[in-house]
Parts: sequence; C-alpha cells; structure tokens
Amino acid sequence: MNTPPTETSSQFITLLASLMLVVQLLLAVQRMLVTNIRLFALQSLLLAAIATVVACVFGAWHVLVVAVLTLIGKVLFLPWWLERLVRRIKIGQEIHPFVNMPASMLICGALTVLSYVVARPFTSLERLGSNTLAVAIALLLTGFFLMINRRKAITQVLALLTMENGVMLAAIALTTYGMPLVVEIGIFFDVVIAVMVLGILVFRIRESFDSMDVSKLNELKW
Amino acid sequence: MSLPMPATLLVISLCGYLIGAVGSLLFMRRERLAAGFAFGAATLSGLSGLLGALFFLAGGAGVAPPQFELFPPLIPYIHFSVRLDALSAFFLMLVSLLGLAISAYSLGYAKGFFGRKNVGVLGAFYNALVLATTLTVVADNIWLFLIAWEIMALTAYCLVSFEHEIVETRKAGVLYFIMSHIDAGCVILGFLLLFQASGDYSFASLHNLGAEMAPGKRDAAFLLFLLGFGIKAGIVPLHIWLPAAHPVAPSNVSAFMSGVLIKTGIYGLTRVCFDFLGAPPLWWGVTLLTVGTISAVLGVLYALMEHDLKRLLAYHSIENIGIILMGLGAALMFLNTGHPVLATFALIAGMYHTINHATFKGLLFLGAGAVLHATHTRNMEEMGGLIKRMPQTAFYFLIGAVAISALPPLNGFVSEWLTYQALLQGFGTTESMMRLIFPLSGALLALTGALAAACFVKAFGITFLAQPRSAHAEHAHEVGPAMRLGMGLLAVVCVVLGLFPTQFVRLLDPLTQQLTGQQISVQLSAANGLVLASLSEKGGTVSTLGITLMAVCLLPVPFGLWLVFSRKTKVRRGPTWDCGQRGLTPRMEYTATGFSKPIRMIFKALFQPRRDVQREYDFSPYFATNIRFESHVEEVFEQRIYRPLRILILRVSRRIRTIQHGSIHFYLLYIFITLLLLLMFAL
Repeated sequence: MNTPPTETSSQFITLLASLMLVVQLLLAVQRMLVTNIRLFALQSLLLAAIATVVACVFGAWHVLVVAVLTLIGKVLFLPWWLERLVRRIKIGQEIHPFVNMPASMLICGALTVLSYVVARPFTSLERLGSNTLAVAIALLLTGFFLMINRRKAITQVLALLTMENGVMLAAIALTTYGMPLVVEIGIFFDVVIAVMVLGILVFRIRESFDSMDVSKLNELKW
Repeated sequence: MSLPMPATLLVISLCGYLIGAVGSLLFMRRERLAAGFAFGAATLSGLSGLLGALFFLAGGAGVAPPQFELFPPLIPYIHFSVRLDALSAFFLMLVSLLGLAISAYSLGYAKGFFGRKNVGVLGAFYNALVLATTLTVVADNIWLFLIAWEIMALTAYCLVSFEHEIVETRKAGVLYFIMSHIDAGCVILGFLLLFQASGDYSFASLHNLGAEMAPGKRDAAFLLFLLGFGIKAGIVPLHIWLPAAHPVAPSNVSAFMSGVLIKTGIYGLTRVCFDFLGAPPLWWGVTLLTVGTISAVLGVLYALMEHDLKRLLAYHSIENIGIILMGLGAALMFLNTGHPVLATFALIAGMYHTINHATFKGLLFLGAGAVLHATHTRNMEEMGGLIKRMPQTAFYFLIGAVAISALPPLNGFVSEWLTYQALLQGFGTTESMMRLIFPLSGALLALTGALAAACFVKAFGITFLAQPRSAHAEHAHEVGPAMRLGMGLLAVVCVVLGLFPTQFVRLLDPLTQQLTGQQISVQLSAANGLVLASLSEKGGTVSTLGITLMAVCLLPVPFGLWLVFSRKTKVRRGPTWDCGQRGLTPRMEYTATGFSKPIRMIFKALFQPRRDVQREYDFSPYFATNIRFESHVEEVFEQRIYRPLRILILRVSRRIRTIQHGSIHFYLLYIFITLLLLLMFAL
C-alpha cells in the first residue's frame, strides 16, 4: 500500500498547490462577486485534485472521501448557493475595500513571504513536496486579510472558505493520511452550516440596514 | 468482554441513570409517569452502584481494580476509561448510597411540583447530575474526569435555578455558576501542570508523579487543586456559594449537593494529595489542617446565627468539610514526618467523617425538605410544634441532629473521636514548632462540637417543639411513605455506622492500602470488634455498642426507683404560670434569634451585630403603639473580600470594554494581529 511518493507526483502536487495560491491572489484583486465565487470554486477543485492524487499515490482511501466531499460541497453546492444569493440580493460588485488593490496585492505578497519563513522549520516533516505547507499558511493568512479588507458580508464568507481550504491543505500536507476522518468531516460540515447561516444572515442584514456592509453592524451596539 | 461483578454493577448503574434521564424527558407531558420513572430508575441504579462498591471493598486489598472503557475513543488521546480502585469504590459507595436514599425520597417529594413545574426536566437533570457525579469519582482519565466535572457543575446549576421565578434563586444560581467555573478553571490548570510532567492523560501515569516534578510546579499544582477542589468542597473563604445555593434548590437536590457534590472536592483533594503528588512537604498538611480548622469554627458560628433552616444546614456543611480536612491535613503531616501508620489512622478519620457527613447531612436536608413540603416556609421562627404533626419526620431529624452533634452512640461521634485521637497523638510526632497546631486544632474541634450541639438544640427545638408559631406550622401534616422511606434509610445507616465502627473500618483497608500502604483495621479493633481502639496505649478506646447497651440496661433503673418511691407523693396538674397575662400564646415562645443571642454576644468581634429599634408612641414611651426591630449580622467575607473584588473586576471590565467597537473588521483585525504576532514569536 505505502509506496513512497514519486518525484512526479510530488511535483504535481506542488504545482496544484501553487495554482491554489495564484487563484487566491486573483481573489484579492477581483471585484465582481460572481467571478469571486467562481474563482473559489476553481480553488476548491484544485484542492480536491490534490486530495485525489494523495489518495491514489499513498493508498489512503479515506482522503478520497475528503476529495469527494470537497468536490460535492465546495465546488458544486456552495458556489451554486452563493451565486443564487448574489442574484437574489442583486449586488454584483464589491465597491470599497478598505485598502486599495495595489496595496492589498503588496500585503498579500508580504504575507506569503512570511508564511514561507514560518513554514521552513517544518519542511522536513512534509511528505508532499516542500512548498505545500507554506502555501497552506499563505492561504490562511491572505484569506484572513481578505476577510478584514472587504466590507460585504458575502465576500467575507468567501474569504472564510478560502481559509478553510488552507486548513485542509495543511492537513493533507503535514500528515500522510490527513487528519482522522471524523475531524475532517466535522470541519467540513461546520463550514457548510456556517455558510448557510451566514447566507441567511446576509439576507437579514440587507433587510435591516438596506445594505450588505458589515461595517454598519456597529449600530447594533447599545 | 467479561467484567468482574463490581464493574458490571457499576455499568448497570450508569446505564440506569442514563435511561432515567432520557425517559424522564420522553414522558415529560405526563408528570406522574415521568417522576415515577426518573426517580425509580435512579433508586435502582443507586442500589446497583452501592452493591458494586460494597462487593469491591469487601473483597479486601488484594483484588485488582477493574478497568474498562465506556465506549471506544472517538478522538485520539481522549479515552473514556473508567477504573474502580479502592478510593473510587469508597466514593462510589457514598454517591450511590445517597443516590438510593434521595431518589426514593424524591418519588414523594416531586409530587409537590405537580401542576406547578415541569417534573420531567427535574428528573432528567437529577439523573444527569447523579450520573456525572458517579463518573467523576470513577474516571481514570483527565479528559473524562474534566468532562464529568463540568457536566456535574452545569446540571447542578440547572437544578439550583429550577425555581427560577424567584429572584433570590436566580442570584444564587449565577453565584454558583461563577464559582464553579473558577473552580473548573483551577482544576484544569492543575491538571495541565501534571500533564506537563507526565505526558499522558491516564490517571495511572499520574501516580506518584510528585517525585518527578520540580518543587515549584508541585507546589503550584497543589495550590491550584486546593483552590479548585476547595471551592467545590466549600472551605472558608471560598464557601460563599454554599449558603446561597443550597437553600434555594429543591430539597432533594440540596440533600444531594450537600451530601455528595461537595464531597467530590474531598475526593479530588485526596486523589491528588495522596495518589498523584505523593511525598508532601510539611506545609501542605499544615495548610489543610489550618484551613480545615478555620472552616469548622466559622461554619458552625455562622450556622448558629441562621434562622433559615436550610441555610443553617448549609453552614454546617462548611463546618463538617472542615473536620474532614482536619483529618486529611493531619494525615499529610504524618506522612511527611515519617509516621505512615498514624497517617493511615488520620486518613481513616477523614474518610469516616466523609461518609458520616454524607449520611447525616443528607438525612437532615431530607428532613428539612419534608418540613418545607409541609409548612411551605424555611424560616424557623414560623415553625414550632411540628413534632405532634409530623412525628416520624421529627424522629428522623432528631437522629440526624444527634449524629451531627457528635453525641454517642451515633456515627458523628465515632469519626470525630477518631479525629481527636489523631490530633492528640500528633503532638509527639515532630520536633518542629508546627506540632503546636495539633493541640490548637484539637481544642477548636472541641469548641466546634459543642457549638454544633448548641445549634442543633436550637434547630430541633425551635422547629419541632413548643406550639406552632404560624398558621403554616399549625396546618402541617406528615409526609408520604416514599419520603419517610428515604429518611428512614439514612437514619438506619447513621445508627449502623455508629454502632459497628470496627466492622466498617475493615471496608477501608483497601483504601488505606492503596494510599498509604498500611492496613490497620485489626489494630483498631479490640475485644472481638466490639471496642474501637486508638493506636497508642495512651490514647483511649471507645465502644459505642457498649454505651448503647449500658444505656438500655441502666435507663430502666431510675424509672424503677421512681415507681417504688413515688407511691406516697400525689401528682397535681395545673396551668403553666403566665406572669399574670391572660393565657400563653406562641408569640411568647423562645425564638431562634433569642436562643443564639449569648453566642452572638460572645463572638461580637466577628459578627458585629447591629440592631435597629424604632418605637412609635402616642404620649409615653412605655405605651408603644408600634415597635420595629431589625437585627443584622455582618457577613464578613461577602463584605470584606468579595465586594471589593467584584467592584475591582467591574471597573477593569469597563476599562477593557473600550476595545469593543462593535465593528466586525476590528475584531477580525485583533485576531489577525494576534495570529501574526504568535507566528513571529514562534520563530
């Protein structure tokens, strides 16, 4: 069962992971909501591909379950659900991010460098190419930055989802067999439920405040 | 998988509580069925657990403790493993015995809530509480212990605030909630320190860990556990939740909390000090002994000032926890000075008092519950004359009162006698100045015993004797058979534990073997087990059975003499002298406040009593039309420690609150910056 990873599969995984990072950077500069959602779907597809490769190369078949779940949930269901939401609230653009495009590009770059520095001590632990963990941390940090930078609730949901992709990638990268299946499925359903709840919340916010801008939520205080 | 008999019984008992909880919720709409099902299941489960514990303890010290997993681990490292060693079995016996008696009592007590409150919820939480308490004492893994500990705290909170319509209840509930979470926090920190040294979560790996830990960390762990388990046990000054929470809970719950729940603190301390940390420095024992003595004296003093029956009992719990800690503290000191046999003796005293307090305090709370059930008031000043209206309850309450006052031949006497003997023999064990603490705490224990007796003269006398002081008391009636059964059961246990101490001490052999490596039940019994002996020649011996026999033989003598010599005198019956007033009314009776006044005056410095009298009169102060009288006792700990603390915390919280902008982006930014800093720091 436990055939060692070949050079090819390792490089293939690294390639897919770096593509995920590229998609993430595109997300940081893209304003159209629908395009954002599709980019996220593409990123999830790449993640599912990585999981499939890992499953086949290492014979860890429960990682395949993760791959299938990702495919169904994050590539098909959630993008469909979010797109429907966008159509229903009829807002197509993210208008004012707090930091403008070139600056956020630079910040994302800095965060990526930081994550490479952070991940260096662990490269020997990795089984799947030397960059996967760094990419995972970069996804996490840039996802977080996206969440802070955007005003619209729906883009924040998307940012949260990309962070979750990063966590999954880290789980697959650091341990051959991923996390225990229970934990992975638990995280997965957490995310699905969280997105559903947030989706409904977005709707409510819009009804109450006539806007999707979460920075107006501080009116709720006192 | 085949399990030994005690473990099987334990599993049956655990399942029984679970079924009781679920069934109670399912039958919620039909309250009679729900109450019967919940408390019936709890009664049978208690019986099963009790039998299991007795089987194990009767097997002697040689039996290997059964160990098994409740269900397979879902997440790595978190094992739900259970182990029934001697210490666990002893506390399982205590939990199950009280569970049995209190559940039987509840079958009748729950009827008081029919049509008024949701009995299904009460039954479910009650079963969950007993289940969690049982799991706490048999857990063999830090995780399972902490989970059970937390469930125990939460279900107890839900039960305390069961009658949440009343403001007082809600306040008490919140206070209990806060205190029990401070306690859980301390316990978690303590276990983290232990885990750091052992690297494993099972209790087996923590055994005698103290030898490997750095002294500083060991002491820190001891202090954290003392704080955490001390809050649960209710030692002074961490006791403030007890007199608030116990009175407002339904009486069966307060009986369980006072009898069993606070004992889990004692279980934790014993487990940690004797099993995990081991080889204690001298000051641990001194601390426990001091804290115990202070709790005992202050507990009973505050109890004397109470005229709320259940609050009075709650303060007595603090006193008795103090007495238990005196035994444990003395045992730790003896271990340090190299007297393992004496340490065993003191440990036996502590453990004996633990089970004694559970039985008689359970009994007294059940009795108070019966009184509350019949009169709908907790204020003793409105009771009186209940002995005529509820003779059986009065009898059981009297047994409990005699036992808690440490009068022979009941069980309270035996364990306090053992504690005295341990303390008296302690003086010669060490040369350091620390030995002065033994006679001091012995003297204070004597004071405590006397004050407790005074307090129960008051509690019993004002509640049950004389004429009814209110309409409530006048129309009281005896409680139903299930409630009397519950009280009767505990009363019998009180008597048995009092009359046959040498036989009971034999059950403690496995426990002392496990914790101190000694078995001394043989040395403690003399004359074929009829006489309880202390270890040294200079110490005494006592036979409660002998005292009883002597009393039974000698009591008829004065009656016989009276019969013989009273032939010639004539008996004349007349009315009680009423000072020339017209007829005596209940308003002229001795009150609880009046009874305790001498003690209030003696301990003026502590109580700082204040009173406030307002007279209204028309033409002369001698003919008052209206007198208003108020008297207060200063609650030192609430006023001097907790109030400033609360004000400080609120002030700091208000300062911190300024960072709460209400803007999601700021919150996210906080998290993000923290994450980045941690990452940088990790490099």
